[in-house]
Amino acid sequence: MSSPQFREPLIEVKDLYVYFYTYAGVVKAIEDMTFTIYKGEKFCMVGETGCGKSVTSRALANIVPSPGRIVKGKVIYYRDGKPVNILELSEEQLREIRGKEIAYIVQDPSSALDPLYTIGYQIVETMIDHYTVRDQKEGYKRAVELLREVLMPDPEQRIKNYPHELSGGQRQRAVISIGLSNMPRLLIADEPTSSLDVTVQAQLLELLRRLVREHGLTLFLITHDMGVVAEMCDRVAVLYAGNIVELAPVDEIFKNPKHPYTMGLLRAVPNPQADIEKLEPIPGTIPNLIYPPPGCRFHPRCPFARDVCKREKPPLVEVSPGHYVRCWLHAE
Amino acid sequence: MADIKRFLARRALTFIPTLIGVTFLAYIIAFAIPANPAQAWAGGIKANPEVVARIIREYHLNDPWYVQYYYFMKGILTNSIIDPRWGYPVMTYMLSRFPITFQLTLFALFFLIVLGIPLGIISALKKDSWIDALVRTWALVGVSVPIFWLGYIFIYIFFYQLGWINIAGIPYPKVHITGVPIIDALLSGEWNIVWENIKRFILPGFTLGFAGIGVIARLVRNSFLEAINSDYIYFARMRGLKYRRIMTHALRNALVPVVTVLGLQFGGLLGGAPITETVFSIPGMGRAMVDAIFSMDFPLLIAGTFLVAIIYVITNLIVDILYAVIDPRVRF
Repeated sequence: MSSPQFREPLIEVKDLYVYFYTYAGVVKAIEDMTFTIYKGEKFCMVGETGCGKSVTSRALANIVPSPGRIVKGKVIYYRDGKPVNILELSEEQLREIRGKEIAYIVQDPSSALDPLYTIGYQIVETMIDHYTVRDQKEGYKRAVELLREVLMPDPEQRIKNYPHELSGGQRQRAVISIGLSNMPRLLIADEPTSSLDVTVQAQLLELLRRLVREHGLTLFLITHDMGVVAEMCDRVAVLYAGNIVELAPVDEIFKNPKHPYTMGLLRAVPNPQADIEKLEPIPGTIPNLIYPPPGCRFHPRCPFARDVCKREKPPLVEVSPGHYVRCWLHAE
Repeated sequence: MADIKRFLARRALTFIPTLIGVTFLAYIIAFAIPANPAQAWAGGIKANPEVVARIIREYHLNDPWYVQYYYFMKGILTNSIIDPRWGYPVMTYMLSRFPITFQLTLFALFFLIVLGIPLGIISALKKDSWIDALVRTWALVGVSVPIFWLGYIFIYIFFYQLGWINIAGIPYPKVHITGVPIIDALLSGEWNIVWENIKRFILPGFTLGFAGIGVIARLVRNSFLEAINSDYIYFARMRGLKYRRIMTHALRNALVPVVTVLGLQFGGLLGGAPITETVFSIPGMGRAMVDAIFSMDFPLLIAGTFLVAIIYVITNLIVDILYAVIDPRVRF
C-alpha cells in the first residue's frame, strides 16, 4: 500500500517507555512503543482519550509534561540524513529543533496562546528565536503572509489582535501559522480540530492537507475520529492503553482490520468505507494504567480473549507487508 | 482613548459616595464618644465658660448631628474650619504633614517591590527549597508580629546597639519643589540630604513594609507558579522559544494580580503609618491623627480620614488603569 517515496525514515521511535510519577502511583502511560514516520507521509495515531497519543507526540521532541518521564527507548531523528537520538540532546539543542524542525499544533488554541500578547507578536517571536527572520519588521511581513496562507480573514488587522478578540477557528488558524512559521520538517497536529465546530473542522482539515502537500511537510496527526483518519492519512497506528495494537496503511485498517479493538472501534463509529447497520459500543472501560491488566492490555474487554492473553503480552507481528498487529489471534 | 475619558469620569463619580461614607463614619464615631470636646479645647475643667460657649457656637456643637456633619464637611472642603488646638485651617495642617507620610510609604513600597517580587519568583523557581520555606515563614510571621514590637526591636538593634541610623528630625533640602524631602533632594542633587533621609527612613520603611513583603512574595510565588504551569508556557516551550523570552511571558502574566494587591497594600501602608510614625517619632499624618485622637481634636481627625480616603480611591484608580495597561482583556 505504501508508495516507495515514503520509504526514507524521518523519525524512528524504538522501544519507548513513558511513565508518569503521580501521588497515586506510577502510571505506565506508554510501553514498548515502536514505529517509524517516513518522509513526506501523513501518519495518523488514533485511540480513545488517555491512551497515550498526545504523550507519544510530545516524546518526539522530548517535551513530555511533568510528572511524566521517558524511562527507556530511543527517538531517532534523521537530521539532514544523519541519525540523532532526540533523547540524548541538550536542552538548547532541543530548543533549536522544537518549533523549527519539529513543530506542534495543539488541541486547545485558546489556552495555548498567551493572552497578553497579540497573535502577530507570538508568530514573530517564534521566528525570531529561531533566526528565520532578520528583524521584527520582516517578521511581521512574514506573519501577514502566513495568516493569509491559513486563510485568516483580513490578516493585516488580525496580527494586531489579542487572542481573546478572535473566534475559536481564527485562534486555531493563528496556532497553525505559528506551527508553519519556520517551515518545519515534521508537523505534529494533536487533535487540531476537536475544540471547534464541524464546519470549521472540515475547513481546517482541508487547509492542513493543502499545506502539507504544497510545502512537502511530513504530518503526524493525532485524532480520535475515524472519519478524519480516512480523509487525511496514509498510514494509521491504533493505540490502546499505551500500546500500538495495530499499524497499517489506511485502506488496510478500514477494509481488513485484524485486532479485535480496531474491529470494535470501527463498529463503534460511523465507518466511512463500509456500511454498518448499527453502531456498537465496545463493552467495558479503559483500564487503570497504574495497575494495567497483565498480558494483553485489551483482554478484559476482548470477546476473543483466551488464557494466553491474560498471561502474556502479545508481540507486534507483521501479518502482511506493512500491516502489524499485536494480538495472540495473529501471533502464530 | 475616548473610552478612558468616560471611564475616568464614571470612576470620579463613584468617588463621591465613597468619600461621603468614609467621612460620615469617622464623624459618627467621633460624635458618639460621650465627651465634651468644647471643654477640652477651651483648656479642660477650669476653662472659661464664655470661651466654651463661643467654641460651641463656632463649631455648631449643640446642633443636631446632620447639621454638625454638614458644617464639618463644608469647613473641610473650603478649608475654612480652624483647628481648635493649633489655630491653622485643618486641611492646611494635614496637608503639610502629608509629604512625610508619603515618603515613609514610598520606602515601604520600595521594600515590597524590590524584596517581595524577587523573593516570590525565586521561591517559585526553587519550589520547596530553603528560600521557599523562608518566604512562607516570613509571610506568616509578618502578619502575626505587631508593627510596634518590630519597630522597637529594630530601634534597639540598629540605633541603640549599632548606631547605624537616625531616629530624630527630618533632614530637609534647601529647595522646595514637591515637598517630599527625598524627592526634592534628589531633584536638586543634594546627595548628603538624600543619604540622611535614607538613614532616617530606611528602618521605619522596612518595619512598615515587613508584613507586606511576605504577603507579596507569597502572592508572586503562587501566581508565577500558576503562570509557568499554564498551557501557553508549555506551548511556548513547544515552539522552542528562548528561556528568557519564556520567563518574560510568565512574569507578565504573574504580575496581573500582583499589581492589584500592591495598590491595596499601598492604601494599607498609609493606614498602618500611624503606629510606625509614633514608634519612630516621624511627624507625618498618622502621628498627627494619633495626637488628634488623644486631644479629642475631631476636626483634624476627620480631615485626616478624608485625606487618607482620597489617597486610597486615587490609588485604586491608578491600579485599575495599570491593570488595563498590562492585560489587554481588561476593558474600560
